Amino acid sequence: MDAIKLQLASKTLLNPFAAQWERAPRVNLALRGTEAAEQPSAYIRTAWAGKRVGSIRALTVQAANNRQDLFFRLEWRDDTCDLDYAGGVTFPDAAAVLFPANGDAPLERMGTDAQGIEAWYWRANRNGTGECLRFHGFATEAPMADSPVTTAAQHRNGRWQVVISGPLAMHSAPARVAFAVWDGSNQERAGLHSYSPEWLELVLS
Amino acid sequence: MSRGNGKSAAKQAAMVFDLNKCMGCQTCSVACKVLWTRDAGQDYQWWCTVNTLPGRGHPKDWEAMGGGFRDGIPQAGRRPTSKEWGGGWDFNYEEVMYSGRGQEVHLEAVGEKPQWGPNWDEDQGAGEYPNSYFYYMPRLCNHCTKPACVEACPRGAMYKREEDGIVLRDESRCRGYQFCLEACPYKKIYFNFAKEVSQHCILCYPRLEQSVAPACVRQCPGRAVWFGMLDDESGPVHKLVRKWEVALPLHPEYGTEPNVFYIPPILPARLTEDNNFDESRPRLPTEHLESLFGAGVRAALETLRREMGVTRSGGKSELMDTLIAYWWKDMFKPFDQDPGEIEWQRAAASQPNSGW
Repeated sequence: MDAIKLQLASKTLLNPFAAQWERAPRVNLALRGTEAAEQPSAYIRTAWAGKRVGSIRALTVQAANNRQDLFFRLEWRDDTCDLDYAGGVTFPDAAAVLFPANGDAPLERMGTDAQGIEAWYWRANRNGTGECLRFHGFATEAPMADSPVTTAAQHRNGRWQVVISGPLAMHSAPARVAFAVWDGSNQERAGLHSYSPEWLELVLS
Repeated sequence: MSRGNGKSAAKQAAMVFDLNKCMGCQTCSVACKVLWTRDAGQDYQWWCTVNTLPGRGHPKDWEAMGGGFRDGIPQAGRRPTSKEWGGGWDFNYEEVMYSGRGQEVHLEAVGEKPQWGPNWDEDQGAGEYPNSYFYYMPRLCNHCTKPACVEACPRGAMYKREEDGIVLRDESRCRGYQFCLEACPYKKIYFNFAKEVSQHCILCYPRLEQSVAPACVRQCPGRAVWFGMLDDESGPVHKLVRKWEVALPLHPEYGTEPNVFYIPPILPARLTEDNNFDESRPRLPTEHLESLFGAGVRAALETLRREMGVTRSGGKSELMDTLIAYWWKDMFKPFDQDPGEIEWQRAAASQPNSGW
């Protein structure tokens, strides 16, 4: 996918409704749900057997850079806007931009011991503050130091529109990306999510 | 402290509550509350609670929420909701005490009207007067031998301590995914909404390391609870659980092998319509106790009645002497160090107190 150059302030690009996002090509992705049988504890495997993991199956992404930072705009349909835990009923919705940390890290398992995945992570209950996480398998994430990830999100008309941004220096071309989404009202968290199944080449223009 | 393999322990700390002696005073609940759950996000957390039985308990109808193991296979469970927990309310103290309207308003929770709480159905019980019945049951984390919570955590954030089997959580690894809440069949794990981590009873391990019994044990004014290592053959816990087999685990069918045990209650005899004793059947239906403690409760009740008969006829019973607990500190030796004599190291933000 093409991360077009937009000579704009980061503040502008962090607005998912900024008119300038119209200039960035839209890429429509079909998502898959992770497998219950591949989850890391017997409890999760049993409790989720036969349930649909990954209720979000379509995602539209755009990418841009302003020479300083890299921006991804994610948009998907989600009728339930899960901003927090709703008193123990839901989990906050979440999404992540994924980068392979080493080779062809398997997306269907969120990486392996040898092949990690780096994630720029947004969660609906954390206002503007993203996380940079390193995965080596489902639910193994550990925060990475000194890696500021900024986010902005709006839920309008049954759709999430989320911008996730990080320093361009971390992923200058050539880079590959993929995406993951967690639907909180479907109790999705940890390794229970939907993901784009192929690594996409990221081209900076 | 040793994490070992994190799944099993060389020794196991255990507790026995005598439901014949518990008077529902909540001193254990408050001792725990004051010591451990006063931080942000813990308002509603009561790691130790005492509920009236028969009753719906805390959280409300927790026994229908699933979890645990059946034939060794984990069972799906669900998290209790904030409404099912209840508690942690703010009250209109200002209005009642200082507004000048004290004759018009009454003390009540601010905001949405509470529908349930930690002790909501206190003393309701069951049955019809004059044969109504109830008793109290303290509950806390069972520090199970096969903890479903530890198995469920996908991050390995939970473990059983090698030296005493206490189930702990490394909060720095916890990401708040709450599979432990779902998997725990006793629903004794709480989610801290402020810190976004799960939390539960730590069996006062910093006290144990100083030979001080857990706060809920030491503070019990009714001599209703014993504490010790399950394999300490000279200790009362071993004698009550293993030797006399009168202390039973709650819901053994949940498959987690809990380490909090209960002496089943024997309530006063029923009354006939003309106010004579009716000993043809117990006031508290044995079927109710079987539903909590399994089939073994019949033998336990028989042993208790037999040994009570021994003392009634002037004989000597080791079991009755243990249950009477003539010497308070014998109930939790060797964890009988006076906490007031210890120079505790405190975290800067914690509340000052001593001697709990």
